[in-house]
Amino acid sequence: MKGLVPLFLGIFGTFAFSWVGLTVIPNWQIGHLNPQMEEDGTDVYPQPQSGMVERGARVYAANGCNYCHSQQVRAEYAAADIERKWGDRRSAPRDYIFERSVFLGKMRMGQDLANIGARAPAEQENAPGPPAGGAAPAGSPGQQPAVAPLSSPARSGASPNPPPKSAGSPAPNALPAVAGSPPEAAGSPSPSAASPAPKAPAPQVPNASPGSTSAPAAANATPGGTTSVSSGTSASGELPIYSATWQHRHLYSPRSINIDSNMPSYRFLYQTRQISDAPSVDALHFTGSDAPPEGWEIVPNYDAKCLVAYLMSLNQSHPLKEVRSAAPAAASPPPAPGK
Amino acid sequence: MNATEIPLKEPSVSAAAGDTEQIERALIDASTRVPVLMFYTSAMVWLVIGTFLAGFVSFKLHSPDLLSGISFLTWGRVRPAHMNVMVYGWASMAGMGTAIWLMARLCRTVLRHPLLLVAGAGFWNLGVLLGVGGILWGDSTGYQWLEFPRYAAIILFVAYMLVASWAVLMFRYRRGEQIYITQWYLLGAFLWFPWLYAAGQLMLFVVPVQGVLQAAVGWWYANNLLFLWFGAIGLGTAYYMIPKVIGRPVYSYHLATIGFWTYALFSSWTGMQRLVDGPFPAWMITASIAATILTLIPVATVGLNHHMTMQGYFPLLRYSPTLRFTVFGAMSYTVFSIVGVLISLRSVARYAQFTQVSIAYSHLGLYAFFTMVIFGSMYYIVPRLVGREWRYASLIKLHFWASTYGIGLMILMLLAGGFLQGANMENPTLAFSESTETVLPYLRGRSLSGLLLTVAHLIFAYHFVLMLLGLGRTSTVPTFLNPVEAEGSEGHL
Repeated sequence: MKGLVPLFLGIFGTFAFSWVGLTVIPNWQIGHLNPQMEEDGTDVYPQPQSGMVERGARVYAANGCNYCHSQQVRAEYAAADIERKWGDRRSAPRDYIFERSVFLGKMRMGQDLANIGARAPAEQENAPGPPAGGAAPAGSPGQQPAVAPLSSPARSGASPNPPPKSAGSPAPNALPAVAGSPPEAAGSPSPSAASPAPKAPAPQVPNASPGSTSAPAAANATPGGTTSVSSGTSASGELPIYSATWQHRHLYSPRSINIDSNMPSYRFLYQTRQISDAPSVDALHFTGSDAPPEGWEIVPNYDAKCLVAYLMSLNQSHPLKEVRSAAPAAASPPPAPGK
Repeated sequence: MNATEIPLKEPSVSAAAGDTEQIERALIDASTRVPVLMFYTSAMVWLVIGTFLAGFVSFKLHSPDLLSGISFLTWGRVRPAHMNVMVYGWASMAGMGTAIWLMARLCRTVLRHPLLLVAGAGFWNLGVLLGVGGILWGDSTGYQWLEFPRYAAIILFVAYMLVASWAVLMFRYRRGEQIYITQWYLLGAFLWFPWLYAAGQLMLFVVPVQGVLQAAVGWWYANNLLFLWFGAIGLGTAYYMIPKVIGRPVYSYHLATIGFWTYALFSSWTGMQRLVDGPFPAWMITASIAATILTLIPVATVGLNHHMTMQGYFPLLRYSPTLRFTVFGAMSYTVFSIVGVLISLRSVARYAQFTQVSIAYSHLGLYAFFTMVIFGSMYYIVPRLVGREWRYASLIKLHFWASTYGIGLMILMLLAGGFLQGANMENPTLAFSESTETVLPYLRGRSLSGLLLTVAHLIFAYHFVLMLLGLGRTSTVPTFLNPVEAEGSEGHL
C-alpha cells in the first residue's frame, strides 16, 4: 500500500462508521426517553432514585456484584428468565433511564437482580405497623421493625405497588430443600416456617423475649442448631426471603441461608461492636458461629445500608406500555427460588 | 537443505547489501533498547502480579470464604484488579513494546524522541498502579475494562497520547515509500485506541449517555479494545514475525489488503451480540451478530495468508521459539474468531450467555491469541536489545508447553462448564443453584490450569531477568528449541 493518506482516511473512516453506528445513532433512538405516565400525569414510572440508592449502586459496583449478577430479564421466547420468576415481563430501555450506572451484567453466578426489590415480601411495607401496634409493644428485637424504616424511605416512589405474588411464596421452607442441608436443619424450621409463611412477622412473636438480643437466638437454638449452618438455616427460616433483613443476613453470611451458595461474605460492610447502652435497632441476629460474643452486636455500616436500599429499589414490576407483561404469575407454581 | 542453512534468522539477501542492512538493523535495534526494555520490564512485572491475582480470583470462585473478610481482597474487587492488570499492565505494555520496536524497524530509521516513550511508559505504569489501587480501595466504576477510576484514566490517557504521538512522528521519518502490512495494523491500533478510550470515558463518565446505552457503550468499548487494539497489534506482529523467521515474503499482499480492511470494517461493529435479547432495539444486536459472522472473511484471508506463507516450512516449528509461539497465536486467532461467531448466534447464545463461556472467549482472545504472539515477539526482540541469546532452550520449551496446556485446559474447562451451566440455567424446572453447582468442578479444573500458567509465567520472568542482567549466551546463533544438527529434518524442508 502506498501513501499514508488513504491509510489514514480508511482507519478513521471505518472506526467513525462503527462509532456512529453503534453509539451515536442508538443515542438518537433511545438516548432521551422520558418516564411513562398516565395522561393526567399520575402513575409515573420510573422515578428518580434517592441518594441512598445511588450510593448503594456505587457500593454495588465497587465490590463487583455485577460480575456475578445480571440485571436484565429477557423475553419469554428467548430465555427462561420469566419462568424463573425473575420478572413478569422483559426489561426495556425505559426501566433504566434514572440509573446513573447500569449494570446489565454478563454473568450469572448468582441470580438475576432486576426485580430483587419487587420480589421482597409485601409485608415489608407494612412491617412497622403490626409489630409496633400489635403483638410485641416491648419492641421485639426481631428484625422486621428494625430494618423496615431504613428501607422504606430509600425505595423509589414507585414502590408502594409491588405485586403480592412473591409474598406468599413458599420460600422459607423451600430453602432448606434446595440447600440439601442436614436433615435436622431441614426438619426443624420447616414446620414452623410453613404455616406462617403468608404472614412473615408472625413467627417472631413466640420468640420475642423483650430486652436481651441474645434471647431469641437462644430460643432458636433447636437441638440440631449448634453448628453455624443449621442454626443459621433455622434462623433464616423465619426471615421473609428477599426482605431487607434477609439481604443483610445474606450479605453477612450467605451460607447461613443456603449452604451451597458460593457468594462471598461481605462482612467487611458490617461492624461488630460492643453494645453501649441499648442494642441497636439495626443489629443483625445470628446464632452459632456467626453470632457475636455476649454483649456485642453486629450492625451494618452505612455502605451496607445503602447497598440493601439499592437492592430493594430494583423493581421493574411496573407495567410498561411498550412491553407485553406475562400472564399473572400465580398461574404456575413457582420454581424453587434457589439461593 | 542443509541443517545449518535453515534460515531461522534473516532472509537471505545478496552479501553486500546484507552487510549494510545488518549494520543498519543493529543501529536501529540499539536505539530502541531503553524504551522497549522499559515497556517489556514493566509488562513482565504486571504479568507476574496479574497471574497471582488470577490464581486468587480463580480459587475464591469455588472457595468463597477464602479471605473474604478483608474488603480489598473480596472477589468482586480482585477480579477487576486482575483483569485490568492483565489488560493495561501486561498486554498493553508488552504490545506497545513490540509495536515500538516494529515501528522503528519498519520505518527503517533509528528511534527518534525516545523521551516521549520513556515518559509514556512511566505515566502508563503510574496510571495502572493508581487504577488498580483504586479498584482495590473501592473506587471501581463497574464497567468492564473501564473500571479504573477517573484519576487513573486521565493519567493513562496522557501516557497513551505520548506514545501515539511518537508513533505518528516516526511515520514522518520513515524511509521508503512502501508501507508494510504490519504498519497498517500498528498505525490503526495507535490511532483507534485514543478515540476508543476517549469515547468510552466521555460517554460513560463525563457526559454519560442515558440508561442502557451505557451498557451498549461499555460493550462496544470492550469488544473494540479486544479487536482494534489487541487484535490489530497481534495480527500486525504475526505478519512480521512469521515471514521474518522463515525468511520468505508474505504469500499474498492482496489477500493481506482485503484482510486488513474487512477486519477494520467488520470487527469494529461487533460487541452488541453480547447483549442478545437485552433491553435494546433489536437492530443493534442483529447488526453486531451479522458483523461477527462477517469477521470470518478477515479470519479466512489472514489464516490462508499465514498458512500459505508457512507452507513447507512447518518443520521449523521444531526449532524457533518465536515461530512456535507466533504460529500458535495465529492459529488461536482463527479458533477465537470461530468461537466468537458460534456464541453470537442466537440459538447458541441462549446457552452461552451469562455463563463462563464469555470468560473462555476473552481468554482465547487475550491469551491464546494475543499473549502467545507477544511472547513469540519477545523471544525474537529481547536478544536483539540486550545483545545476548536466551540462555536455556529447556526453559523456553517448558514455558511453551506450560502455557499451551494451561490455556488449552482453561478454555476447555470454561467452555464445557459454561455450556452446562447455561443448559441448566435455561431449564426452569431446575433450581437456579443447579446451574452454579454444575460449573464448580470445572472451575476447580480451571484453577489447575492457572497453576500451569503460573509456572509458565514464572519461568519466563526468570529467563527474562537473566537476559536483563546480561546473563544470556553470547553467541551469533539464536537459541533453538532443539539442536539443529541432531535432527534429520532435511527431508521435510
